[in-house]
Amino acid sequence: MPITVDELAKLIDHTRLKPETKRTKIQELCEEALTYEFASVCINPVHVEFAAELLSGSSVDVCVVIGFPLGATLTEVKAFEAQEVVRKGATEVDMVINVGALRDKNYDFVRSDIREVVNAAEGAIVKVILETGLLIDEEKRQGCIISKEAGAHFVKTSTGFGPMGATPYDVQLMRETVGNKLGVKAAGGIRTFKDAIRMVNAGATRLGTSSGVSIVEGYRWAGYSDAWLEPDKPCWTCPSRQASLAKQPKDVYLWYKERCVTCPHRDENIFND
Amino acid sequence: MKDAQILWVSLSKQSAKEVPFLADNYAKFLGGRGLGVKLLYDRVNPEIDPLSPDNLLIFAVGPLTATSVPTAGRFAVVTKSPLTGTIFDSNCGGYFGPQLRRAGFTAVVIEGRATSPVYLWINDNEIEFRSAEPVWGKEVSNTTDHLLDETDSKAQVACIGPAGENQVKLASIMSDKHRAAGRGGVGAVMGAKNLKAVVIQGTKKVTVSDEKQLDQVVSRVRRLLKKDSITNKSLPVYGTAVLVNLINEYGLLPTHNFQEGTFNDAEGVSGEKLLERIFVKKYHCFGCPIGCGRITRAYGEEGGGPEYETIWALGPQCGVNDLEWIAAANNRCNELGLDTISLGSTIGCAMELVQKGNLDAQLSFGDTEGLIKLIDEIALAKGLGAELGEGSKTLATQYNAPELAMQVKGLELPAYDPRGVQGHALASATSNRGGCHLRGYMIGPEILGSPVLVDRDRIEGKAGLVNLFQNLSAAMDSMILCRFTTFAFSVQDYADLVTAATNLSVNGKELLQIGERIWNLERLFNLREGFSAKDDCLPPRFSTPLPEGGSRNRIVHLEKMLPEYYRLRGWSSKGYPSEAKLKQLNIQ
Repeated sequence: MPITVDELAKLIDHTRLKPETKRTKIQELCEEALTYEFASVCINPVHVEFAAELLSGSSVDVCVVIGFPLGATLTEVKAFEAQEVVRKGATEVDMVINVGALRDKNYDFVRSDIREVVNAAEGAIVKVILETGLLIDEEKRQGCIISKEAGAHFVKTSTGFGPMGATPYDVQLMRETVGNKLGVKAAGGIRTFKDAIRMVNAGATRLGTSSGVSIVEGYRWAGYSDAWLEPDKPCWTCPSRQASLAKQPKDVYLWYKERCVTCPHRDENIFND
Repeated sequence: MKDAQILWVSLSKQSAKEVPFLADNYAKFLGGRGLGVKLLYDRVNPEIDPLSPDNLLIFAVGPLTATSVPTAGRFAVVTKSPLTGTIFDSNCGGYFGPQLRRAGFTAVVIEGRATSPVYLWINDNEIEFRSAEPVWGKEVSNTTDHLLDETDSKAQVACIGPAGENQVKLASIMSDKHRAAGRGGVGAVMGAKNLKAVVIQGTKKVTVSDEKQLDQVVSRVRRLLKKDSITNKSLPVYGTAVLVNLINEYGLLPTHNFQEGTFNDAEGVSGEKLLERIFVKKYHCFGCPIGCGRITRAYGEEGGGPEYETIWALGPQCGVNDLEWIAAANNRCNELGLDTISLGSTIGCAMELVQKGNLDAQLSFGDTEGLIKLIDEIALAKGLGAELGEGSKTLATQYNAPELAMQVKGLELPAYDPRGVQGHALASATSNRGGCHLRGYMIGPEILGSPVLVDRDRIEGKAGLVNLFQNLSAAMDSMILCRFTTFAFSVQDYADLVTAATNLSVNGKELLQIGERIWNLERLFNLREGFSAKDDCLPPRFSTPLPEGGSRNRIVHLEKMLPEYYRLRGWSSKGYPSEAKLKQLNIQ
C-alpha cells in the first residue's frame, strides 16, 4: 500500500454539491468527515454556517465553493461570496476560474479575478478550479501559472459538473507546472481507491470526492492483494478517451482526439474494454 | 468459543440426538459451509453413492445467524452432490436459518433413509418424525401450507417438490416457497432419504459474545450498505436482474448455449423491463436491508423471482425473449423444486444438440412451445425429461457431443461467458463445487468495479484475487452472510463481526485463513473422490473466440493462470495441497 488508510483519508475533501442536497445530508457528511478524519467537507455556500457549527473544534475544515460551477459571474460577486463564507466559518474556498477569459488569453483579467478572491478570503486557503475538460494543455498550464501568481494555494482540476473529471494526466501536468509549493487538488469522477491512488501518484495533494467513505473503506482491500493496483489499459485513464463532442467545444474535443492518432497505445484502444 | 450443538438425526432408526461440534473445530471452521465440510470429510466414506443412505445431508447455520448483523438469515446445505460427485454446499436465504439457530442448533445432520416418506418437525428441543404421505407428490406451495397447518403457522419449512422425490439431479430444496438451496441436486439427496421436509420453530434467544461491540460494528456496516450504490440503489430498485443489460453490453450474456455472448432482445428481459411489466413488490430475506428479491405476477399468478440467473437460463440461454413466460416457467420450477440454472442450461444444451443433429426432439432456440411440459417431465423423470434431469454433462455425453455441455465438474455454468472475464474463468474452473460464480465472485471487480475495477482481460494478478475471493467466500458461507455484502464490506468488517459475535478474536488475515482451510478440505474431499487437476478446466468452446459483441475475439487463457493459482495455493502442479500447506492450516 503506497500510503496508509488514515493518510488517504486526510487527503479527502468530503464533497456534496448537488443542488437537491437536504440538511440531513450535510449533517451526515459532517459526521462522516469527523469519523474518518477527512481534510474537509466541501459544500455549497448556503450550508456553511450549519457545517461550521457541526465541525467546530474539530480538525475537519469547512471548504465552500465560489462562483460555482461556471465561474462566469462577476469578480465582485465572487469576492463578496468568498468574504461572506469565510466570515460565516469557511476555512477554505474553491473558486472556479473564468474559463472563457482564460481561453481568450485575457490573462490579466483572470489573474485579477483570482487575486480579488484571495484577498477577500482573508487568509483562508484558496483553490482555483480550472475545469480542465474545457481546456487544452497549454490553457491548463496558463491557468496554473496565473493562479500561482495571484496567490492561490491550490489548483484544482474540475468542478464535477463539467465535461470531464480528474485524470492522472492532468494532475501530473498541473503538478509539473506549479512545482511543489502549491497544492494540486484532483476532483471529479474519483469514486474508488484505485482512482484516488492514481491521483496521488500523479501528484495530487488533495482529493475532492463524494465517495470518500467508499474510497477509504475500499482501500482496506488493498491490504489483501497487490493486484488491485496493477496497471490498467492506458486508455482507461486518458482524458482523450473521456472527450465528448456533446459536452466540449469542438476545437477542444478535436484537440483531444488528435492525440489518439499519434498515441503509442492506439492498438490497445479496443472495443468495449 | 463454546461448543456448537448439532442435532444428529438417523432416518433409518427414526432417532435424534444432540452432539457437540467442539469449540476447537468451531473456531477453525465457524459454522455453515465450514462445519458441513468438516463433518462430511470426517464422516462420509469415499466413493459412496450420493443417493444412498450413507450420504449425509447437513443443514447448517453459523455464528452470525439470527443476530442483528444484516443478511444473517441464510443457511447452508452440505452434502455429496449426485450431480457432480463433488463435495457440495448450497446456500439459501429466506427465514428458515434463524429458526434453526433459535431452536438451539447450529446444524441438523441427517443420515440414513426412512422406510416411508417422513418430515422432521423440530419445535425447539422436541423432535418428531411425522408421516409425509399426505404431501408426497405435492408441489412446494401446497406442501409448505399443509405442513404449517399441521405444525405451527410461525414455523419455517424447507422441503422438496416432485423433482426431489424423483431424485432428479437438478432438484433443489425450497424454503419460504420460492427461496432455493438450488444447486447440485441437494433436493435429490433429500428425496433419496424419503425426507419431504424439515419444519422448524425456534423460540430461544440467540446470544452473542459482546452485544455492545456487535451493535457498534453492525451500525457501521449498515451505514456502508447504505453508502454503496449497488446495495443501496441497483439491487433494491431492480433486483439481481439489473445485471441483464450490463452483462449483455459487455458481451458476456451467454446466448444459445454460449454460442454467442450478446442477446439481441436483452432489453426485453432486463431488470428495468421487469420493474415496468411484472413487478409486484420487493422481497427481503431475514435481516436484509437490501431487498433484492422480487415478487412478480405472470399470467395472473404471483410468484417469487425471477432472479438474474434464472432470467438468463430460461431466457437468452434458450433464446427466449418473453419475460412473462420466463417468470411463469420460474414459478413452475419453484413449485416442482428444480434448480433453474442447471435446468435452463441443460435445456439450452438439448436445443443445441437438436440444432447440431445429435438429438431428435421438438426443441429449438426461442421456441417456448412445449417447454413447460418438458419442465414438468424433468421433475417427474419421464420421457426426454428423465434424460435432461441427469444434467447437461450426462445428456451431451449420451448424445456423443460432450463438448456441448457448458459445465465444470458436472455443474452447469452460470450467466457469464468466461471468455470476457479472465478472473471469472479461473474461479469457475477451480471451483470446488463445479461451474459456479459464487465460490469467488470475480464479476465484482472485473465488471462491477467492486471494490475497484480491474482489467477483465488481464491475466496477471488474477490468481491472487481468485484466491482472495474464494477464501473470503468460504468464510462468509460459514458465518453465514449474503454474498452481496461484499459490495459494501471489506475483509476486516467481516472479521470484526465474527469477533464481536463470538469470543474468537480474528483479524482479516486470520479470517481468510479459516476460508482457506475450508477450501483446502473441500479440495481434499474431491481428490479423495478421484478428481484431479484435469478437472480444473472449462468446456473447449471457451478456447474459440466469441464472434461479436462486447467480448468479441476473446478466449480464456486458463493455462496461463492455473500454474500461478496452484503456486499461490501452496499446491503441487498436479493440484494437490502440499504437506506444508496442510500443516500450516492445521488440517490433519
